[in-house]
Amino acid sequence: MNPLSQAVASGLMSGAVYALLAAGLVLAFHTSRVVNLAHGEAYAVAGLVASALSGYGWPRYAALPAALLAAVLFLTSLEHFLLRPRRDWPVGSLILITLATAFLMRGLLQVVIGVDPLSFPRLFVGPPVRILGGIIPLQGIFLIVIGLGTAAGVLLLLRSPMGWRLRATAENPEMAALLGINTARMRLLAFGIAGALGGLGALLLVPLVSVDYQSGLGMTLRGFIAAAIGGMSPSWAIVSGVGLGLAEALVTTYMGALAQDPIVFLALIGVAVWQSRTIMFGGSVRA
Amino acid sequence: MIKWALIALLAVFLVALPYLGLLPGWTFSLATTVVLQAVALIGLNLIFGVVGMLAFGQAAFMALPAYIAAVLTELGLAFPVALVGGFVITVAVAGLVAGVFVRLPGVYLAVGSLGFGFTVEGLARAFPAWTGGASGLVFPYGRALNEHEWYVVAVVLLVIALLAYAWVVSGARWRCLRTIRHDELAAAVLGIDLTREKARAFTIGSVFAAAGGLFLALYVGVQIPEDAGVTRSLEQIGTILLGGAGFLFGPLVGAAVVNWLFVVAGYGARYELLIYGVAFLAVVLYAPDGIMGWITAVRLPFGGLLDQRNSVSEITVLPPTFDQGAVAAAAGNSDEICLRIDNLSRRFDGLLAIDQVTFDVRAGEIFTLVGPNGAGKTTLFNIISGILAPSSGTVYLRGLDITGLRVDRRAPDIGRSFQVARLVPELSAKSNVLVRLDQIAPHLGERERHHLALAQLDRFGLAMLADRPVKELSLGQHKLIDLARAAVGDPALVLLDEPAVGLTESELLHLAAVLDALQRRGSAVLIVEHNIEFVTRVANRGIVLDSGRPIAIGPVKEIFADQKVRDAYFGALT
Repeated sequence: MNPLSQAVASGLMSGAVYALLAAGLVLAFHTSRVVNLAHGEAYAVAGLVASALSGYGWPRYAALPAALLAAVLFLTSLEHFLLRPRRDWPVGSLILITLATAFLMRGLLQVVIGVDPLSFPRLFVGPPVRILGGIIPLQGIFLIVIGLGTAAGVLLLLRSPMGWRLRATAENPEMAALLGINTARMRLLAFGIAGALGGLGALLLVPLVSVDYQSGLGMTLRGFIAAAIGGMSPSWAIVSGVGLGLAEALVTTYMGALAQDPIVFLALIGVAVWQSRTIMFGGSVRA
Repeated sequence: MIKWALIALLAVFLVALPYLGLLPGWTFSLATTVVLQAVALIGLNLIFGVVGMLAFGQAAFMALPAYIAAVLTELGLAFPVALVGGFVITVAVAGLVAGVFVRLPGVYLAVGSLGFGFTVEGLARAFPAWTGGASGLVFPYGRALNEHEWYVVAVVLLVIALLAYAWVVSGARWRCLRTIRHDELAAAVLGIDLTREKARAFTIGSVFAAAGGLFLALYVGVQIPEDAGVTRSLEQIGTILLGGAGFLFGPLVGAAVVNWLFVVAGYGARYELLIYGVAFLAVVLYAPDGIMGWITAVRLPFGGLLDQRNSVSEITVLPPTFDQGAVAAAAGNSDEICLRIDNLSRRFDGLLAIDQVTFDVRAGEIFTLVGPNGAGKTTLFNIISGILAPSSGTVYLRGLDITGLRVDRRAPDIGRSFQVARLVPELSAKSNVLVRLDQIAPHLGERERHHLALAQLDRFGLAMLADRPVKELSLGQHKLIDLARAAVGDPALVLLDEPAVGLTESELLHLAAVLDALQRRGSAVLIVEHNIEFVTRVANRGIVLDSGRPIAIGPVKEIFADQKVRDAYFGALT
């Protein structure tokens, strides 16, 4: 077995999930100004609901849509009930609301689902595929294809009339509202899409790994790093999500799984230093 | 003084409390834990409560010193040296983390500190030989003291920490930090070095975290990876919010309530996270000032004294004489060129907002910038004050090229007002003016700066309102305070963005008188204003911009007579 192609394969798998998370985070950020720190909880909610329902013997065609719906409902409720009435609050306070929501959701998942890591059966069962000396489970192939395909679909959506309305809301909410765009509905839509993307990531990845009530924040962190590397642009966020997954997998393969968190942190430092070139009030930067 | 007395009184009460047996479950071990946690949380209160930085990894800074000390001991260092080493290295790491992340918008620090928490917790698990791994680091060195002695140590540490905190956030630093919290852009324009101040606050805050955490590890005797983890850090944010973010006693009250509730509730471990989550969300949504905010709001006896947030002692007596020239800008002769804009352009993607603009403003001159909306006036203001960088061209101030100079470094020479006043609502009118004086005249004593600020407010007819919090004043008064602040210290150049909007006729007279005084002291004044009558009355010369291009320049009366200007500016009316 070739460790490099194995690492690339597993990197593409987690990378596809990070790309989905980053795309959702960017979408919600642009329509609401808020970096949603509860974003990764959509992943945890979908993964745990799917696992729990499968555990109760629900058939797959019922459990998975229900899990996806739970993730969408979670993020849209956050936007509708907690963020929307407080549009005039400072961004820092709104971020705190999303953090508190993440905390609440963790506590809720712990009480309702328990602390054990859970998983559910794979959707795509079959002999693993061998590519260039690496072995990828069939589910992994579908994960990469569906994940990246959906991410590309989001980019297409942004170029549709609906996408223009979303982007107008992001760019200038007052002007968008004057032009007759229902900006509140656009934000709700963005949070709903974000929830669906996070949930989809969980439905594809969780059968290969597992998920517990604490998984959400780590996913938020990775989604944000990818989004930040990509300069909060949807297309670049997707690219850097895949890149982050690959980097993580290579580190894990060659340096051990324990090096993952420090490496992610180092990547974040790198991003911060890189972004500092264009600091906002830095007169020394010539644009 | 009252603050010190309160801290002393609190110390006596704390020492006595476990002996009194007033509270069920309030044992020595709980009291000691609460007090040591409060020491650490004072740091988070400074970082998050006072400055408003989103630091979500403070638990890691609490746990790090003990881990580093353990590693250093393994490496053969004597234990006391290792303890000091652990403390010092932790503070250094905090300084580095701050240095990397505080330059960027707040969310970077939020995610960066989360990542730091994950890293420390992960490393603690990854190297069990050094850190004890998941079962915890055994740190048995605190057993030399019995529980009474430990309690006294903890209370002494808390008193020191409270005194240190009260000193750190007193006077000018309080005004500076609250201004940063409220409005970073205004803070930078007022001369505050945002990166330095935020990095400093984060590092000082982490000193409290490291000290409290180290003593907590010594007291408890065991430290597990979760102690460094993100969950713990976020619980601490919740504790601060519950106690009252930015209040002197917020951390202690928060830690006491949270810990005591869990003891009384019998540690429903399974529900702990959920209860935290509900309480956290409820406080964020409905009681942003926490328990201390509630205590000060219902005006309990002494409640006002506890309100650290407004208790900066203010001097209100105007001295019979004060040295007007103490911070006055070096008045040049009236022919000296103060501001020179040389071939300046600024492009926003496809739009050329400023197109090859060149003009001079002489010292002692009032110069006006005129043009329809979208002409590029505000962009030009932002370039001169350093908020935007030009795409090409140069800005000279008194002959020096300041094009690349940072915003806050320009403050001593450039004062700026905003279209909509950007004041800190909770601070008094005088404190708002003082924020700028603190930065540009640090060599003056606090008392002298108070006198200058009061005199400045008096020039605008605002002396009566000096000690009122700005949020109680009218919008017109906000405007005047903002103008007073921009002009305080008689900077070489004063930029006024639509100063006359929203002012009454008598307020306009104050403004005109102040402009006149500035002019006589040799300051150059650049005004953007749509009130043509006012501009023609006060200004000497001006420039008219249309779509970023200069179309007329010269004495005000001439430029308004120019046909091109009338077409561009009044075109819609004629």
